[in-house]
Amino acid sequence: MQFEWTEEQDAFRHKIRDFLHAQLPEGWEKFSEHGPASPALTAFARGFCEKLAEVGLLFPHWPKEMGGEGLGPWEQQILSEEMWIAGEPRGGQYMNVNWIGPTLEKYGTAEQKARYLEPITRGESLWCQGFSEPDAGSDLASLRTRAVLKDGHYVINGQKIWTSYAGLADTCFLLTRTSDDRKKGITIVLVPMDTPGITVRQIPSLIGEGDIHEVFFDDVTVPETARFGEEGQAWEIVAYSLRNERLGIPRFTLARAALDRAVMMLKDRGDFTREYVRIEAARCAALCEAAGTANYAVVQKRVDGLAIGAESSSARYATVMAERAVCEFVVEFLPEALAGASPYLKMHHQRGIVAGVAAGSAEIQLNIIASDVLELPREPR
Amino acid sequence: MQLALNEDQTQVLDFVEALARPFASAPLHDAGLALESAELDAALVENGFLDVMAVEELGPVTAALVVEKLARLPFAVEAAASALVRPLIDPELPRPLCLVEEGRTSGPVRFLRPGATVVVVGQSGVRSFTASADQIAAAQEDTLYAYPVAFLTGLPEAMTSHDVDPAEVTRAWRVAMAAEAAGLLGAALASVVTYVSERKQFGRPLATFQAMRHRLAEAQVVTNTAHWLAMRAAATGDSADAAMALLHAQEAAKRVCYDYHQFLGGMGMTLEHPLHLWTYRLKLLTSELGGRGAQGLAAAEALWG
Ligand SMILES: Cc1cc2nc3c(=O)[nH]c(=O)nc-3n(C[C@H](O)[C@H](O)[C@H](O)COP(=O)(O)OP(=O)(O)OC[C@H]3O[C@@H](n4cnc5c(N)ncnc54)[C@H](O)[C@@H]3O)c2cc1C
Repeated sequence: MQFEWTEEQDAFRHKIRDFLHAQLPEGWEKFSEHGPASPALTAFARGFCEKLAEVGLLFPHWPKEMGGEGLGPWEQQILSEEMWIAGEPRGGQYMNVNWIGPTLEKYGTAEQKARYLEPITRGESLWCQGFSEPDAGSDLASLRTRAVLKDGHYVINGQKIWTSYAGLADTCFLLTRTSDDRKKGITIVLVPMDTPGITVRQIPSLIGEGDIHEVFFDDVTVPETARFGEEGQAWEIVAYSLRNERLGIPRFTLARAALDRAVMMLKDRGDFTREYVRIEAARCAALCEAAGTANYAVVQKRVDGLAIGAESSSARYATVMAERAVCEFVVEFLPEALAGASPYLKMHHQRGIVAGVAAGSAEIQLNIIASDVLELPREPR
Repeated sequence: MQLALNEDQTQVLDFVEALARPFASAPLHDAGLALESAELDAALVENGFLDVMAVEELGPVTAALVVEKLARLPFAVEAAASALVRPLIDPELPRPLCLVEEGRTSGPVRFLRPGATVVVVGQSGVRSFTASADQIAAAQEDTLYAYPVAFLTGLPEAMTSHDVDPAEVTRAWRVAMAAEAAGLLGAALASVVTYVSERKQFGRPLATFQAMRHRLAEAQVVTNTAHWLAMRAAATGDSADAAMALLHAQEAAKRVCYDYHQFLGGMGMTLEHPLHLWTYRLKLLTSELGGRGAQGLAAAEALWG
């Protein structure tokens, strides 16, 4: 057991940092206040990801057969950490390289791979994930958006909500219902977002402009070849995708960086002397590091080729604890940070508060831990 | 980064496991809370398990793993200070080792007894003496801690000075306590999980009620991370890591001890169920080295100056 990075890993991290240093424009910090899905950041991400691709940093963790460098999960982790700390200049394209690409490779038809992988590798495409619906959030399997096969085409009707990136995405990775069987009746359809019948409405939010949307589907018609996998295979495919993305975003790194920033600001104005402030800051740091080690323990299992189970939910919940603590610390001791004094801390706050909701809520993680880590007898249904 | 156990570590833990097996369950006991076993202690010493830190291929992480594993037993063993701190001071110091902070010597001292080595850690240095009966006041019969404890009546004039940085000793002390707390947290959680999974009310196991599931799941999260932070602190030797590890462990202890007894209902108030053997050790550890606040200040100093 050892907790140091290898020389190669350190060098890899520095390569990324040098690249960021060279490529992020002056005033980037202020700019990154724009949510990851804002028009501004999305436009920036296009050029940025093209350059990442040129230097082999867009998908270095992909296997060589897919054009990647075949680097391992640690390198993917390092890449994600450095990008997220920098305000995620890849915008929504991080999803492409983390799970959409690998999922296309595994389950896609030759036509789908040819159509979608290439633009991902050039840093040119943006996807959105159409899972949640107004009546299907935590209980995702109750989703109702219908896809009906008719004359070689799927006709889709229904509504999605909270869809990140929908405003600017080219393609939607859409979960639809093709039969009434709860989980086995769900089918994935890849839907170009410019298909007639799609209406996207932005939802004003606390987390940066352009981040979340409602998406309406009114007789949206796509050819049968847009189906991804078999009918009813969605649940299995999504489980596979999430295996690639189980830990999600390495939020603990930005939380820790935000905490350091807050402490520096307090020190600058001579306000980091009160004992209870120092103790509270240390408590936040410990929670960030705690989340970090829990996340790394999961990455280690990936490195060792072991199945990843509910321990990723435990790591996720540790992350929620850290995000919450840092957000609360800033509000209590540096209130001006969220009123313009620190774009970086504001950016962190906007992204930090979603940790317990996006990609599966905190309570759902606790349910999973209770059942699958502690192996408590199940709740009656 | 390599968070899996290596072969040596797996082997050492397997040995410890085998050796500890006869001590894995608590005998019924009703006289006082502390439960010790001279036999277990002797077996650990004889097999060198408290000296693994000095073995090059094993080192401090293996020592911390051993300490954590032993802390899961119902029997209290003075392993943490001996395995993780003593090698820095003088590997030959007689056990048990009792660490006290200079200026804070009036509290209950774990494992204090005639013949024990008391190590006084202060800003100016690290000094030790062998405790004799006249320097010790026994704790009241009805002490509530599940460690054997006693009080120092004072410090002797003459003590042995050790040529070691007191900050370094304090760092190792934090690691030792964090590793011990991690084991106690793990064992306490496991025993509560077993109980609430079996105990039925309203026709179903208590563990099927979400009010309990969520609090236990949160306990799992902090217990798991207490383990990892302790191991990282042992591995890196970094003083910020050590202070954060003990801070986190003390926070976790404070968070779970009350809940765990609550979850056992009346049974949680008895000596019949072994839960108290871990929680009433954790309770004492929450005050170690000045408690959470002191760990927080130490971590802040190490992180940000
Ligand atoms: C910033 C952001 C981005 C998002 N991006 C996307 C996206 O791109 N695509 C997409 O499909 N979705 C997206 N989501 C949606 C997200 O996945 C859902 O918000 C999430 O799954 C929770 O669903 P819900 O909002 O309907 O809350 P609900 O399910 O209504 O939950 C409300 C509260 O009830 C609790 N709760 C629910 N069930 C239980 C239970 N069984 N036990 C105990 N408590 C329970 C929840 O934990 C939560 O606290 C995004 C959300 C956010 C905030």
